[in-house]
Amino acid sequence: MKNNYQSRAYIVAVIVIGLLLIFSIKSLAAVTTTPLPYFQDITITGIITDKDGLPVPGATVSIKDTNNGTLTEMEGTYNITAPAGATLVISYLGFKSREVAVDGRKEIDIQLEEDVQALGAVEINAGYYNTTERERTGNISRVTAEEIELQPVVSPLQALQGRMAGVEVTPGGSNPGTASTIRIRGINSLREEGNFPLYIIDGVPIISTPVETNSIAFNAGLDPLNTLNVSNIESIEVLKDADATAIYGSRGANGVVLITTKTDKQRGTGLEARVYTGASTVPNRLDLLNTEEYLRVRRKAFENDGLEPDANNAYDLVLWDQDRYTDWQEFLFGGTSSTTNANLVFSGGNENTSFRLGGSYFSQGTVYPGDFDYNKVTGNFSLRHTSYDQKFNINLSVNYGIDINNLVGNVGFSSIARLPPNAPAIFNEDGTLNWSDWTEAGLDNPLNGYYNSSTTNNNNFISNILFSYKIYSGLSFKTSLGYTNNWSEEILKLPARSSSPADVQTNNSSHLNSNRKSWILEPQLNYEKDFGKLNLQSIMGATLQENSSSNSRFRANGYVSEALIGNLTAAETIVNAASENTEYRYSALFARIGMNWDRKYFINLTGRRDGSSRFGPNNRFANFGAVGAAWIFSEEAVIKKNLSFLSFGKLRGSYGTTGNDQIGDYGYLDAYEATAGPGGLYPSALANPDYSWEVNKKLEGAIELAFFSDRIRLGLSWYRNKSSNQLVGYALPSMTGFSSVQANLPATVENSGWELEASTINFETKNFRWQTSFNVSFPRNKLIDYPDIEQSSYANTYRIGHPLNINLGYEYDGLDPETGFYAIRDINEDGSFDYQDRNVIIDRNSEFFGGINNTLSFKKFSLQFLWQFEKKNGSHSLFNAGRPLNPMVDILGNLDGESKFQKISQSSQAGTAFNNVLNTTFPIQDASFLRLQSLSFGYNIPRKSLERIGFKRCKLFIHGQNLLTITPYGGMDPQLSLSGIEIGNLRTVSGGVQINL
Amino acid sequence: MEIKLYIDRFVILFACFCFSSCEDFVEVAPPNNKLVQQEVFGSNETAESAMTGIYNQLFQASYINGSSSSITYLAGLSADNIKNIRTTNLDRLQYEESEIIADNDYNLNLWSSAYNIIYMVNTFLEGVSGSEGISQELKIRLEGEARFIRAFTYFHLTNVYGDLPLLLTSNYRENELASRIPQSEVYNQVLDDLLISSELLSDDQEITERTQVNSYTVKAFLARFYLYMEEWEMAEELSSEVIGNTADFEILDELNQVFLANSREAIWQLSPIGRGGNTQTNEGNLFIHSDLLPFFVSNALRADFLELFDETDKRVLNWVGFNDLLQEHYVYKYKIWLSNELPVSEYSMVLRLSEQYLIRAEARAQQNNLTGAIGDIDVIRSRAGVDLIANTAPNMNQTELLNKILEERRMEFFAEWGHRWFDLKRTGRMGEILGNDKPLWEETDLLFPIPAEERMKNPNLTQNPGY
Repeated sequence: MKNNYQSRAYIVAVIVIGLLLIFSIKSLAAVTTTPLPYFQDITITGIITDKDGLPVPGATVSIKDTNNGTLTEMEGTYNITAPAGATLVISYLGFKSREVAVDGRKEIDIQLEEDVQALGAVEINAGYYNTTERERTGNISRVTAEEIELQPVVSPLQALQGRMAGVEVTPGGSNPGTASTIRIRGINSLREEGNFPLYIIDGVPIISTPVETNSIAFNAGLDPLNTLNVSNIESIEVLKDADATAIYGSRGANGVVLITTKTDKQRGTGLEARVYTGASTVPNRLDLLNTEEYLRVRRKAFENDGLEPDANNAYDLVLWDQDRYTDWQEFLFGGTSSTTNANLVFSGGNENTSFRLGGSYFSQGTVYPGDFDYNKVTGNFSLRHTSYDQKFNINLSVNYGIDINNLVGNVGFSSIARLPPNAPAIFNEDGTLNWSDWTEAGLDNPLNGYYNSSTTNNNNFISNILFSYKIYSGLSFKTSLGYTNNWSEEILKLPARSSSPADVQTNNSSHLNSNRKSWILEPQLNYEKDFGKLNLQSIMGATLQENSSSNSRFRANGYVSEALIGNLTAAETIVNAASENTEYRYSALFARIGMNWDRKYFINLTGRRDGSSRFGPNNRFANFGAVGAAWIFSEEAVIKKNLSFLSFGKLRGSYGTTGNDQIGDYGYLDAYEATAGPGGLYPSALANPDYSWEVNKKLEGAIELAFFSDRIRLGLSWYRNKSSNQLVGYALPSMTGFSSVQANLPATVENSGWELEASTINFETKNFRWQTSFNVSFPRNKLIDYPDIEQSSYANTYRIGHPLNINLGYEYDGLDPETGFYAIRDINEDGSFDYQDRNVIIDRNSEFFGGINNTLSFKKFSLQFLWQFEKKNGSHSLFNAGRPLNPMVDILGNLDGESKFQKISQSSQAGTAFNNVLNTTFPIQDASFLRLQSLSFGYNIPRKSLERIGFKRCKLFIHGQNLLTITPYGGMDPQLSLSGIEIGNLRTVSGGVQINL
Repeated sequence: MEIKLYIDRFVILFACFCFSSCEDFVEVAPPNNKLVQQEVFGSNETAESAMTGIYNQLFQASYINGSSSSITYLAGLSADNIKNIRTTNLDRLQYEESEIIADNDYNLNLWSSAYNIIYMVNTFLEGVSGSEGISQELKIRLEGEARFIRAFTYFHLTNVYGDLPLLLTSNYRENELASRIPQSEVYNQVLDDLLISSELLSDDQEITERTQVNSYTVKAFLARFYLYMEEWEMAEELSSEVIGNTADFEILDELNQVFLANSREAIWQLSPIGRGGNTQTNEGNLFIHSDLLPFFVSNALRADFLELFDETDKRVLNWVGFNDLLQEHYVYKYKIWLSNELPVSEYSMVLRLSEQYLIRAEARAQQNNLTGAIGDIDVIRSRAGVDLIANTAPNMNQTELLNKILEERRMEFFAEWGHRWFDLKRTGRMGEILGNDKPLWEETDLLFPIPAEERMKNPNLTQNPGY
């Protein structure tokens, strides 16, 4: 705790010193700036502002029909020398250009109008090249800084929820730092770990699998993007179809997430500081029984079973206090976690060189008992330089993040919420864990392990340097060199007082150190030329990449005292030491040829040849490629003449192949590892030298339209991805020695669907603007082919023509009139229930999902809110009444009258019936939801009142996350809805201020 | 023009660089924590390590390690010596009630852990036989040890499940859809392996750690095999050989020393060192009612079983504990409930000399050598401190004596290796005895079900009747 306080104080100090520094630099700058006199023409000065009156730095002010021009300073000011009769052209990305006649004036202030709809102007990062919204042939979705920078989230992925068509983000849990799941256009691979998209940060691929941890987050792992500063992200592009992803070849099958961090493009120096703080809670509670109701249900169970409760079968009725009541949900997750974020950016530059230096601090607590938190400190630096002749370019970006995650050790939290409400106290009065009351009932204290704590120190360094040189008109050479280094140290402290008397009670610690390093070298040649109306853009390049990962783990036992835990010299023994290193190498050649005729007809060809060390020597190389084409039909004279309301119309389509090599390294090696016992070697998995790439063939067709001067824009795409040669942990009967082997499955999985993206400007006046954007996706997942499925080990898992993640369940047959228990149908009438009776397909895939985002601004106020929605089914299984587990209140109807639930009973027969009914459609509920996922409200303090204190801009904002959920689902979070008890997104409300100097 | 040429060359050079750099680049060396199979069987030392690996992994394998999915525990619950107490665990109750469901997790653990060991042995045998880097002498010994472990495992599997898929290669493509073959053929394979093993292992080998298989381990198990096959002469011959090796084996007077590591009564033991952590046996942890947590228990000895013993029987005095709070008796053969002390003081017993005496007693009785049989059974009774049959009933007839031997086995081997369950089965008394004991008993409960998950993945696996 003291440490935390110190680190916070340290951050504040850094910010204050930074601010002072900026002030002093600014005052110096003020002294040295003197405008140069120029005698032949007049010198014009002025300030360029946006409609809010905020200065626009970096805008181009040029003299019409000449090559002369200048850029505006940080304050939006410019000065230019021009003939008294000239016309000034002011342009800036995202604003409508304006022309103003000088008319001999020496001071001209100009207000620019935003041009959000400028399709041609919005540059899109397509990875190895840039394109524009207007001319792209592939499917690329984009989220920009404005939409995500204020969200109080740890990983940028969490900020994407509901914002992009075809992109589904599911939270990994309620602990800060846990990895979310992102799926782009559904599940392509049967392996859970084979469905990660490729993450690329500033051109450098990042290993997208979650970082391993021993802490409570060990199921989901830690998000590898945690150490990025969300506020420092310029844009996130998601590449979806073949045209966009084929240039990533073997790694593009699951889509590509391109993260671009901010760089500075402007002159002069500036400083931006932003601070916010907030609080998070678990948004709802389950409706469980109170003590009186619970005990009635339990007594009824024994009454129904004709059994006398005793200490063995009914500790809650016989041993425990009958009047005690604890709200276990409140106890477990009733807390409030606080979030703090501080951000400081210092930037500057001139025509040729600019830089941006930033730092941030983020901390978030947990809602669980105990003093645990997550902290991160990030620093980033970017530098751009262009030589005077514009031929040589260098671009450097460095991101460094330290992530300190203090979590409770691995404690089974979820079981606590459903403890009998009269269960004894977890803690004794002196604060130690209460063992006696629990062990008397033959139970472990449910907070067994509570004093365990884990600290994960994760350092992440990502750097990339890009050189480019224009060799000749149209031909340039580019090379990017990236290096990443992620090292993490984790210590799990296991003090003796934390473990049950059923364990050896010593003070132990468990250590996990891991390191992931990679470098990548990508030389490229770009060639661009116009041949009359034909425009050609091409790239040829190569990739060499090496990742090396290592981890080591050990356990230290027998520290004399708890205070010494972690001090290895004080440990009695060091056991279970293991280390592992893996190396992955990857090489590729790639090329792209993009051609267009008159900027109307576009064709884009991409190809890649890949080699990966993850495959056996005979299967290392493969080729991938795609073709994309587009026709901007609104440019045709006929359309222009007859359909004048149509401001833009494009048809596009693409087809191509991508691959997937996301499997463990060395799986093809027939190898032995060390046993846990000393001196032994054993085969830890089956080896298969013959597996090869998973191939994903993607087809897409789309139409994009805009009406009424782009006020309404629509994009509708249809896609069909066929993933074959499925690389899976092929399920084997365990009589073969193991329950799976890495192999290619002769199956074809199809993901198809429709995606609609629309945006409208509902209202636009000088003071008020309201824009809505909408996206919805209708994904379909289907196993379309599997030769000889009946003879395979998947015969009873999958059904051809149905999605992959179905459950095959029993047919629910109502309540058995004789026993009063759930009955299921014995399909083959063999008197027992097994897989042969599981014929009902239970499908919990999403039918559609999407989001509606509204952005409103009124004078100095702005409001943005995002509704997220999804239609799907979920499961809800908290209705097991009669056993020592607190059920939902729904089952109370069973006490006296009839209900749809089975007779309250604690017998094993009832237990079996309950387990069986979980495998039917009985627990399936509609888990569709509509959620107010994010809402932010901002106020810009008028410029006039700021000038006096020297601020350029000051914005106050409040932000809410997961504020409201409308759902028929009875469990905690419809988004997860596995049993009903899972906690996903927290509700967070935060507020803060942003200051620009 | 010159510039153009220069550019052309540059592009060509660039392309060449790209193409040439790719192909070799993606070769990587294996990681430091893995050893490729060829290397494992490339030298004596690493091949020995692979054998040590099998012994270590045996202690991780549920079926053999005395844990809650072991034959010891599950066959024990299925018979009539031990019972569940204070447990709400349905999966365990199913054994006691003889109402096992095909997707019982314990059952799947038992099955898959056994087949995992069979895979290890198969791949080991393939590695050893194909190796050129291992000395001939070592090859012979390693093959002998490995074959024994395979025979031991199949023997128990077939006694639990009946007909079995008999897998003798590590090739999963061949194995994944294998069907069950008749029990008699499984027994033939078990016998083959045991005979080869017996031939390969030398009688002269010094016995130091009793965790390592030696020729007497094989002989002792062959004696049991012939007993089950009702080949009495062979059973007698082999048990006599083992009993005759007094240099290595003896019946210990002190009962509390029987289950210690490398005790002289032990013929084969498994060391908890294979766990790589705590050093108590699984049996100790599972059966002992700890003073620390007297309520934290799952099983106890049945009262009707304890009634069989004389009050003076040392086995009750030494091998049975009493929980005051619950008023229950528990198995107390192993004394250590929880430990992380080194060196390991108790090993998990697999084969011990007492069994050889009772095997010989039974074999002799079957061959009508009643005096010889009484002599053998009395060795065990004498150690237990109870009246000798030679004194009390020297004229017992054959049937009475066989019954007496069966009862003696029950009292001697309770909570060890499912002896009671298998004895009832091989002597055809299971229905008669358990039918009276368990209300839900059916004749088909003699065999455990083939795990449902296995049948899901291998459609050629049939189910045992009654499941």
